[in-house]
Amino acid sequence: MSLGHLVAVPVVLPLVTAALLVLLGEKRRRARTLLNVGATLAGLAVAATLLWRIDAGGVPGAIGVYLGSNWEAPFGVVLVADRLTALMLALVGVVGFGVALYAEAGWHRAGVYFHPLFQIQLMGLNGAFLTGDLFNLFVFFEVMLAASYGLQLHGSGGPRVASGLHYIAVNLLASSLFLVGLATIYGVMGTLTMADIAAKLPSVPADDRGLLHAGMAILAVAFLVKAATWPLNAWLVPAYTAASAPIAALFALMTKVGVYVLVRLWTLFFSHGGPSDDFGGPVLLCGGLATVVFGALGLLSSLSLGRIAAFSIVVSSGTLLSALGMGTAAVTSAALFYLVSATLAVSALFLLVELVGRMGVDGQGRLSDVEPGEDTNLDDEEVPLVGRAFPVSIALLGLAFVCAALIVAGLPPLAGFLAKVALLSAVLQAEAPTAGAWWILALLLLSGFVATLSLSRAGIRHFWSTGNRLPPDVKLVEAVPVVALLGACVLLTVYAEPVLRFTGATASGLHAPGAYIEAVLTTKPRPGPTRPGPEGAP
Amino acid sequence: MSLFALLLLPFAGSLLTAVLPTRARTALAACAGLVAAVAAARVVSLYPQIRDGGVIRETVSWVPSLGLDLTLRVDGFAWMFALLVTVIGALVCLYARYYMSPDDPVARFYAFFLAFMGAMLGVVFSGNLVQLVVFWELTSVVSFLLIGYWHHHVDARRGARMALTVTGAGGLALLGGVLVLGHIVGSYDLDVVLGSGALIRSHALYPVALVLVVVGALTKSAQFPFHFWLPRAMAAPTPVSAYLHSATMVKAGVFLLARLWPVLSGTEWWFWLLCGAGASTLLLGAFIAMFQNDLKRVLAFSTISHLGLITLLFGLNSPLAAVAGVFHIMNHATFKASLFMAAGIVDHETGTRDIRRLNGLMRSMPRTGTLALVASGAMAGVPLLNGFLSKEMFFAEAVFLTAHPTVEVGLPLLATLAGVFAVVYSLRFGYEIFFGEPSTDLPRHPEEPPGWMLKPVELLVVACLVVGVAPSISIGPLLAAAARPVVGGDLPEYHLAVWHGFGAPLVMSLLAIVGGVVGYLWLRSHQRSGRLNETPFFERFNGRRLFESGLVTATRLARRALRLVSSRRLQAQMFTIIGVAILLALLAARGVPLVWGDRERLPASHEFVLLWVIGMVCAVGAAVMAKFHRLVATTLMGGAGLVTALTFLWFSAPDLALTQLVVEVVTTILFLLGLRWLPMRLHDPSRRTTMRDRVRRGRDLLLAVGAGAGLAALSYALLTRPAPQSISPFFLDRALPEGGGTNVVNVMLVDFRAFDTIGEITVLGAVALTVYALLRRFRPPAESIGRPQQQRVLPSDVVTDLVKPRATGERAGGYMMVPATIARLLLPFSFVVAAHFLLRGHNEPGGGFVAGLVVAIAYLTQYVFSGTRWAEGRAHLLPPRWIAVGLLLAATTGLGAVAVGYPFLTSHTAHFTLPLVGEVHLPSAMFFDLGVFAVVVGATLLILTALAHQSIRAHRPPAPNKRTEAS
Repeated sequence: MSLGHLVAVPVVLPLVTAALLVLLGEKRRRARTLLNVGATLAGLAVAATLLWRIDAGGVPGAIGVYLGSNWEAPFGVVLVADRLTALMLALVGVVGFGVALYAEAGWHRAGVYFHPLFQIQLMGLNGAFLTGDLFNLFVFFEVMLAASYGLQLHGSGGPRVASGLHYIAVNLLASSLFLVGLATIYGVMGTLTMADIAAKLPSVPADDRGLLHAGMAILAVAFLVKAATWPLNAWLVPAYTAASAPIAALFALMTKVGVYVLVRLWTLFFSHGGPSDDFGGPVLLCGGLATVVFGALGLLSSLSLGRIAAFSIVVSSGTLLSALGMGTAAVTSAALFYLVSATLAVSALFLLVELVGRMGVDGQGRLSDVEPGEDTNLDDEEVPLVGRAFPVSIALLGLAFVCAALIVAGLPPLAGFLAKVALLSAVLQAEAPTAGAWWILALLLLSGFVATLSLSRAGIRHFWSTGNRLPPDVKLVEAVPVVALLGACVLLTVYAEPVLRFTGATASGLHAPGAYIEAVLTTKPRPGPTRPGPEGAP
Repeated sequence: MSLFALLLLPFAGSLLTAVLPTRARTALAACAGLVAAVAAARVVSLYPQIRDGGVIRETVSWVPSLGLDLTLRVDGFAWMFALLVTVIGALVCLYARYYMSPDDPVARFYAFFLAFMGAMLGVVFSGNLVQLVVFWELTSVVSFLLIGYWHHHVDARRGARMALTVTGAGGLALLGGVLVLGHIVGSYDLDVVLGSGALIRSHALYPVALVLVVVGALTKSAQFPFHFWLPRAMAAPTPVSAYLHSATMVKAGVFLLARLWPVLSGTEWWFWLLCGAGASTLLLGAFIAMFQNDLKRVLAFSTISHLGLITLLFGLNSPLAAVAGVFHIMNHATFKASLFMAAGIVDHETGTRDIRRLNGLMRSMPRTGTLALVASGAMAGVPLLNGFLSKEMFFAEAVFLTAHPTVEVGLPLLATLAGVFAVVYSLRFGYEIFFGEPSTDLPRHPEEPPGWMLKPVELLVVACLVVGVAPSISIGPLLAAAARPVVGGDLPEYHLAVWHGFGAPLVMSLLAIVGGVVGYLWLRSHQRSGRLNETPFFERFNGRRLFESGLVTATRLARRALRLVSSRRLQAQMFTIIGVAILLALLAARGVPLVWGDRERLPASHEFVLLWVIGMVCAVGAAVMAKFHRLVATTLMGGAGLVTALTFLWFSAPDLALTQLVVEVVTTILFLLGLRWLPMRLHDPSRRTTMRDRVRRGRDLLLAVGAGAGLAALSYALLTRPAPQSISPFFLDRALPEGGGTNVVNVMLVDFRAFDTIGEITVLGAVALTVYALLRRFRPPAESIGRPQQQRVLPSDVVTDLVKPRATGERAGGYMMVPATIARLLLPFSFVVAAHFLLRGHNEPGGGFVAGLVVAIAYLTQYVFSGTRWAEGRAHLLPPRWIAVGLLLAATTGLGAVAVGYPFLTSHTAHFTLPLVGEVHLPSAMFFDLGVFAVVVGATLLILTALAHQSIRAHRPPAPNKRTEAS
């Protein structure tokens, strides 16, 4: 089944929208709002259509290949939409729509060019997920990062600029490493199309293999930086906590790009037999576990909700990397489910951070606040115990917070718990679980515990502390995205079975990349005036 | 009504009560009570189906691929628990109607209460272990909300958090245990697991699973060493305590032990784990209970102790003990719920729960007093009450157990001692507050509560009596039905009767009662004289204090560890990234050959070596000067760039050389413009270079040399390789016939890899927009607002020709006239050059990128020589519009291909003949390149204007100590 031009829409649509938004200028607010939200919604619709059509296409043939500029695979730039890509695009669509809507409550006015940069960011994300070419991936990484620099700094102010410049510097370094790795791989393989590299990998002469591995390792460092792996993740928490609420919610996706690329490349290159198989698996596993520990330490040490959300991103990244390090299809399938639920929940949490903060309680508390006081007899005060009513808006906010917290901490009954159960049972599925499996089990349970501790502490501070609470001023356009993101999580819980079936098919496709490689390399360009017909490569 | 409807009923009720008016307490209580009563009635009606060991199962598919379906499974044991949950729930609803103040927003209370009831029903009905964990954690979460109901009280908040932390952690352990069990058995279905006892007990992972499951159960049932959360949870409203902390939630732990008894019990591990925890909790709880002065805390520690007893009974590995355990679960629920309610009534009527202040209440509230007395008799194990029966069974088990000799002697002793303690604290609860001289200094004047408030207590106390007097008739069949599934289907021989003949158990009971009375009198006399008011010895080992200080310590340690393993400083972050990259690259190449290539080497010429020496000196010089002299560093960087351009030219890459050249020019100029606004270098002459600085610099130098050498080696290894697999010959072959151009580089940019190019120009646009957005808010530091230092040091009599941007109307004069005029004259020529590069780009070196930069340079010079105001007064450039139009042009060119059915960005060359001009080749890529041109011009100019406007912008005086718009 051909997907036609639909595959390119997620890249072209935001690009054109961004250009139009710049043309509209800063004056016509209403038109810009309509265009921005409308285009994002259209993007979501396209992603959903892609997802649906690819899934309906059956197990082997569900790969849409789009030859940019009408050049066949190893020579032109190719976009590839398989299940994983479609899933990520849909995720971008949902989170992007939520963020676009939320920003309309006022954040878009905090600085100039918010809308075009936002669309360029979406273009970069979508492109990174779609492309099947390593250099093109670099380009879309740059698109994504260039926009993210602007968005992170959006609203300006001391903390933002300070952390933003660090963020830029670190990412520029990572991009340089990306280029170095890319050049090395091109020098050895002579090609940049991922599928072509995967196909030629087994036949690389032994003398070139050292260089190739070094190049892959340097490339991986770039993605590990992006995926917030310890010890390469010190930039994340300051940058994400300083960013404005909708942008932080959008950035929850950005670390997933690093994870996505690692999943894509590692399954494509190193999972189908050959001398380089299982390259780097132990490093990913150990790095992932170390990242989980780091994130858990961060959760334990944080009192403010923003930092908790940022560290929970670190934890989820670590979990995903260690799952990838296990290198089995079952674990990858569960990890993808986890990825979706964690991303949605953390995005919602980042939005909630701001709304909760509006209640006027300072989350940035002193350590002495959690100091235990001397315990007294329970009725010493002798005041009649009468509860306090919550205003409706606070009650709903509290409910949303509890939902987000349950998912982030992986407590039942929502999707976070299912993801954790799926991941752990997949990890234990092997006949004799390895040491890595036990570590994952222990650290995942432990990090869930720490998250519970930390989120309940923050929740108590914000919702239960003494003194009356004024209802926050929450606009409808701010409430809708939160409800939508959490609602998506609820749907994910209820329809966990079809989603898991989908991620299962995705994972088995990833771990048997033959179909992907074949689909990319056999797609022929459309014959035209100067292109008489399909020919083989010279 | 199906089981699912039964399970959903409380949740539906919860939603309903949540939306009812928040202070309509009668309606709310009626609604909640009705829900509970209907559920109870439905549970009762299930009795015939489960009486003879029948099992009701209902399944709804949820996530079959995880082995997780919603399975409801009711056997006798689950039924007994469901009965407790619903009946006591209904009674508590009634009680709470009178207990809660009319001002309390009770909608929240009843909503959580019903949600808890649903969660608890979910636990007992679970036919799937993972599902059990789901509801298990749900009870933890809802109980957190219930304990924190009076959240403005610090006790409530702390108690709630502690309960959540301990039981939540236990839930995670349980999840781990369940997953391991599932790994062993291959299924989470309870029936399958119950049928695989032998397999589980003989599996190597049995101890792991057992410990994890037991930790889950012990935390939930407040067993030593996790017992400390329960007394703190007494900050909850009393109805919550009566429900959660007597009959339901804390019983979930022992429920689980009983549920998995057929599978997990029968091993040494089980015996020592559970008997150890149970026995120590039994004794410890009872001991501490004797010294409490708060009515509810007495009950809390007594609950801990009784739960210890139940745990111990299940741990004895004997079916008879397990039956006794089940029996005690039922008995304890009845008397403890009534006692909690009585305590609540006393608290409600007198305004205090302090045993020391409460005396002689029998006179003012005789009915409450009588009921509390009977119930505490049951708690103490007085004959003719239900507590006596199960305690007798325990004593019998303790005496007749065959085990290790120390256990055989120790257990009866321990049992008797615990019995003594129980009598003491029961007397303190029942006797001390109701008898004696009536207190006069109570906060409120005590009187009997409303009749309906006492009804639930009466009902429960009557149940205690009936069971105690005629056990085999009243409770016999129920107990049989409930205990049968626990022991695996075959009930052991037991006899329910008040009189078992004169034997060791009876002696122990009598000893306990006599010893208890004596102990109580002794304790009272001591306490009257002011001693023993605090728990001796154990006060120091306060689990709660350990927990809270442990939490603070953990937070501190985590902070310290975090500072140790990550840094907020950029230098350290960069160091780590580069270090990790080198390390991983070396690690990756380990074990596989790493060799230079075998391509033929070209001999180096002297000129080229000299060129590179210059380039390297420039690069190193730029790095050295970056800190001390930014201007020099920028200039040297430009020099290194020029050498790069020359290198490209040397190796016949004119396109690259041209691009590199113009890029160098533009970036150097922009850097120079930006230098003006950088803050002064912080220089502290008093600071001396320490040893630490030297070590750090040496370390950084080592890393820098390592990274540089590594990159050099990498490039050398790559350049010496022939790259036989390379795809580049394809481009050389196809560029002209199919790409329509002889300049392969340009054809690659606008055709082969146009997708990359459109991405790159987007990057350019985004960066320009970002720089503009950032600098628009930029306020330069105060010291750089005035004239630059170089101008200030000029003698006052020297007149400078420099443009002064802030003084309006000024323009280039004096010696600046010459370059300004030349620059103006050059402007049209640069347009021609740019057009030339643009038009020939497809076939000769050039292209949109270079052309754009040429135009940009031409404008840059106008700004530099003639000043911002002059330049902008004469040209309306609108750079953002250039960017937008450029992007649109590139995208529409690409979409043009889509319109005629080809993929995005496919190029086509039109050949036609124009009059006068002759034959024309017009590739569609031309328009694409035009887009590139426009974006490059727009982006460069936007950055330029962002920098240039700094100098003409009105500056606000910087507000002291206030950051602009900090988030």
